[in-house]
Amino acid sequence: MTKRLGSLVSLRRFTGTLRIARWELTRSAGGLDRRTAAFGLLVLALAGGAVAAGLAPSPGDVALDRNVYRVGVGANSPYYEVIAANGALAAKPPSADALDAGEIDVLVRDDRVLIEDSAKSRAALAAFRSATESYNDRRMRAEEDEIAAFPVGVSLTYEDRTLSSGASGSGASGSESSEAGQAAAGSDRAAGAPFESLVLAFAFLVPMNFVVQLYGSSMLGERTNRRGELLLVAPVKPTEIVAGKTLPYFLGLAGIAAVIAATVGGGIVSVAAVVPIGLCFLAATFLGSMLARSFKELTFVTIAASVFLMSYVFVPAVFTNVTPIALISPLTLVVRDLASESVSLGEYAFSTGPFYLSGLVLFVLGTGIYREEDLFTQRAVPLKFLDALGARLRRYRSVALLSTLFIPFVFIAELLGIAVLFALPIGYSLPVLFLVIATVEELGKSVHIYAGYAQNRFETGWRTALLLGALSGVGFFLGEKLTLLAQAVGLPELALGRAAFVPSGAGGIELLALALAPLALHCVTASISAFGAHRSKRGYLIGLLGAIGVHAAYNLTVVSALV
Amino acid sequence: MSDSRLTIAKRELSGLRKEKTILLALAIQLFIAAFSSFLVVGLVSLYDPGSVEGYSIDVAVAGESADDLLAVASRQDGLEPTRYSNPATAYRSFQSGASDAVLIANRRPSGRVSVQATVPDGNVQTTIVVVRLRETLRAYERAERGQLADRLESMPLELPPEERSNPYYDFTYTVLVPLLLFLPVFISGSITVDSITEELDQGTMELLRVTPITFGRILDGKLLAAALLAPVQALLWLGLLSLNGTQVADVPALLALVGAFSLLLTAIGVAVSLLAPDRRVAQPVYSVCALALIGGTATLPNGPVNTVARLAIDSGGPETTATVAGYGLFAIGVYAATRWLIDRTDPAAL
Amino acid sequence: MISVQGLSKRYGDFSAVVGSDFEVASGEVFGVVGPNGAGKTTTLKILSGLIEPSAGTATVAGYDVTEPAMRSTLGFLPEESPLYEDMTPLSYLHFFADLYDVPREVATDRIDASLSRLELEHRTRRLGDTSKGMKRKVAIARSLINDPEVLIYDEPASGLDPLTTNEVLRFVAELADEGKTVLFSAHNLYHVEDICDRVIVMIDGEVVARGTVSEIRATHGTTEYHVYTTVPVEEKTTDSSRSSGNQLDGESETDPETEADAGAGTALDDGTPNPAPPMRNGAAATTVTEEGSTERYETVVPDMAAVEELRERASAAGGEVVDIRTVEPSFEEIFLDIARPSAGAGS
Repeated sequence: MTKRLGSLVSLRRFTGTLRIARWELTRSAGGLDRRTAAFGLLVLALAGGAVAAGLAPSPGDVALDRNVYRVGVGANSPYYEVIAANGALAAKPPSADALDAGEIDVLVRDDRVLIEDSAKSRAALAAFRSATESYNDRRMRAEEDEIAAFPVGVSLTYEDRTLSSGASGSGASGSESSEAGQAAAGSDRAAGAPFESLVLAFAFLVPMNFVVQLYGSSMLGERTNRRGELLLVAPVKPTEIVAGKTLPYFLGLAGIAAVIAATVGGGIVSVAAVVPIGLCFLAATFLGSMLARSFKELTFVTIAASVFLMSYVFVPAVFTNVTPIALISPLTLVVRDLASESVSLGEYAFSTGPFYLSGLVLFVLGTGIYREEDLFTQRAVPLKFLDALGARLRRYRSVALLSTLFIPFVFIAELLGIAVLFALPIGYSLPVLFLVIATVEELGKSVHIYAGYAQNRFETGWRTALLLGALSGVGFFLGEKLTLLAQAVGLPELALGRAAFVPSGAGGIELLALALAPLALHCVTASISAFGAHRSKRGYLIGLLGAIGVHAAYNLTVVSALV
Repeated sequence: MSDSRLTIAKRELSGLRKEKTILLALAIQLFIAAFSSFLVVGLVSLYDPGSVEGYSIDVAVAGESADDLLAVASRQDGLEPTRYSNPATAYRSFQSGASDAVLIANRRPSGRVSVQATVPDGNVQTTIVVVRLRETLRAYERAERGQLADRLESMPLELPPEERSNPYYDFTYTVLVPLLLFLPVFISGSITVDSITEELDQGTMELLRVTPITFGRILDGKLLAAALLAPVQALLWLGLLSLNGTQVADVPALLALVGAFSLLLTAIGVAVSLLAPDRRVAQPVYSVCALALIGGTATLPNGPVNTVARLAIDSGGPETTATVAGYGLFAIGVYAATRWLIDRTDPAAL
Repeated sequence: MISVQGLSKRYGDFSAVVGSDFEVASGEVFGVVGPNGAGKTTTLKILSGLIEPSAGTATVAGYDVTEPAMRSTLGFLPEESPLYEDMTPLSYLHFFADLYDVPREVATDRIDASLSRLELEHRTRRLGDTSKGMKRKVAIARSLINDPEVLIYDEPASGLDPLTTNEVLRFVAELADEGKTVLFSAHNLYHVEDICDRVIVMIDGEVVARGTVSEIRATHGTTEYHVYTTVPVEEKTTDSSRSSGNQLDGESETDPETEADAGAGTALDDGTPNPAPPMRNGAAATTVTEEGSTERYETVVPDMAAVEELRERASAAGGEVVDIRTVEPSFEEIFLDIARPSAGAGS
């Protein structure tokens, strides 16, 4: 009986959500005056046509580097054709004076090639050399005697040495064969992802920006001129309003992803990988529209979210076949799906998990301030953000919960830190990384505590502060165990990855002590910040700095002792 | 009366300053710069054999033609070839970790040499190994081709000498600098749209219109504020880049180009807001126009991105100067068209 | 100062204003009243140069309203007060001073003066954080920033509490006393009545009544005379004369039995109720009080002729008229009187 009632209630809530979703759809279509709507449709149709027409020539025609290097070469030189056929190189009259004056970067005179002593000249020479190589390959391909033109054939096998210690070749995980001269000996693998796949993967991202702009405008529209007040007094919960208003856009994103996947030959994996990106994007925009005071502010927030997300998902995908770090981006899954490579469930979870979780947490935070007293007030974005955090602090144990919920963001920030720093020599990057990790984690453990104090949600007194710190530390510790997932995918192959995810030391001599040490660390550092926060804003900053220092010192000691 | 436009522009800028969200725009750009430098440094270390100093890969070589291959391979940088008597021992050294890769070269009855290359899977090193093997095998191919020269109608051209260089030298100029210069331009147009649609939405535009300033001047003021912002930001970025060791040439021409596009996109922003005075429509429409103008022209030889790249890398010339001038004229033309549109628009109907 | 001739505004098939004509003299306070959708706001926006008329002409301070130069002579206050929420009252007012090309020192003095007169505190608080009343005061101060000759205020007291409403209206009246011409719209007629020299009443885009408040009252309302008579107490027989009720409906409520009983006190020829003293059970004599040896009656009659009748009858009954009070209809009632049939037909 109670069960039936429960399902009835949830059904009612669902129909409430659907009703708002339908209303959102009809209103955004009907709320516009006819001229505006017609103009918008016209431009979008034109743009669609232009994109379709622009995609017709292969995406390889992108000419960003056209004529960036200038080569002085006579029209009768055999190299003239090399230059003329290459987009990045521009042929100029050969003159030593021009080379001296920096008007040309490379000078071809008879059989000699001269350059200036400059980075640009050397880069131009390298481009010239590879252009000559391609030119030769083209010429050779025209030869009748194929054997003489390409006397070497290559087959490349990738073999996993960790798996196949016994029978040779049994662990081969992929092979390609080609002629060495085709410049294709493993080039696809070496170059990371195939260029076309990347461009196609990017095609999934572009329409998201437009959907998100519509969504952000609609959400902020509820807040300007108190338009959303009527919905607030209607017999629906804020959760249902938010869900209802989001649903059409979410479905739209998923639908567009499906259409694109069908067009470019992606499968269900592509759609499943793009959907969490869209969810996260919507969530960030939603929270942004709850925090922004004006259209302009919303634009900045949306562009920031967009640029951040786009780089975060796109750049690692460039390295799809190079390094496991690429898996931090769901787009890597798309690239692999387009190349008909398989994706394991674990990899899917690793790539998309943080996106699902972050999206959800952002929605939770935003929905907390979807209420009269916050919706129509004007406060600076950081203050509003503290409001959003404070709205979630109902009991002391909410502090622990929020710490756990921040894990996906901490995870994303740390992965980003690794990605940005992994190119540096390890001697420099490790200490910096420790500092970054300590900062990110300490912020994640304490910012909500500060928010709670700023809004007088906690009792004063240092005992409470220490309790809050301990709670936050416990929540964070439990959440951090989720990141062990990372190890399953082989990310810790990198020394840096290990530094990020095992700072709390897994494996060692005294296992129990080592397992409890990180718990103690998190509780202690969080308490330091909380103690500062209970005094004042300045106290919080000082406490936070102290906590970061302790945390970084701990990590440095543990890792240098263990690794 | 031009100071009334300045008054409007000043108020726009002070609004931006007060909201402090413009800091976000700078943060975005810093993020792009950091992430891209990761790209550049990372890619260079991954791909350029020369840039990973003192690192040499051990290659086990075996097979009938191993000696020819060995002769070529031993002349390559960053490669330590070792001759193994047979493929089996070569593989064993790979399995045990003594070698990073295996090359088995055998001549086929057709006369072609078949090379079986085996590389480790799944780590960063793979890339370096593959890149160096490719270099070696291409050199080997050239050597073999030379021996069969009499069977070819034309000989391949001799390759220009190899110099150690950064293969991603142009990346900074063709991608990073254009991104850092055009993002502020895009944002400028976007906030123009916001500023106008917001005043219309909230009814504050009416109060401006009852003052002695004409509607056209109000919009001019908004356009001015936004259009000035982009070149200032661009200058800031160019300064930061040069502090960071990236020399950018032809800054005046770059600023002129940024100014031209800033005017162009803010004028489009104004026009779009007049034709579609609802932000929900205006922003996406504006974004589409901006993307088409900047991104969509990427395939054109003198497209804005390419022009920025050529100017920044110091390959500018009369052609790029003419291009910049052309974009300037185009922007002025679009601005004039927007003025015409403003005059024909009844502000009361918006 | 303001002259409107044949002013019309059409939106497609819909006519917001139909052939308005009116003149506002210098220094006058002029009210435009009417129900929602009557065309008041459209008229005011045309006069401020915000909307171009479809037909007819309007001039303000000698300028055609379509001339930009006209706006320098004008202070406009829209019905809503949308302000830039990120600005403070001071920066907001200085911004507008710049737009009106008011020199900095002059602007500072003017802003200071009007904010003091409006008793506005928190001059450096963000407008987004201030109350509606404060925003309205800032908006009013803005309308004065260019020291305009003409003020056009759309519902100046809209959405304000009674206290602030009074403050604002008093301020408007003061402005008029200083020689400014004020044209404002209102649907709360009480405001109009208090401070307007002349008004027009608009309904469905048309001016349906115009003139001073008393002129309109004379045309559209019914003035009543409350006549108080005293009659010696021994004249009193029954207390059925303590009838109560609306004097206007008195006739129909008159009980036929008491009517017959009334004797000499029959109804007057013109249907006016009998004066109280002669008719002991006089239906129209609504109020009876005993004061010592006399009874005091109050009778409401529509015109002076009826008052005369009463006087005669009272003296015939040995009493006298002790007081006559003229009660004019409230403007609210006149307005309802004009608006009712039209609004009814319209909806």
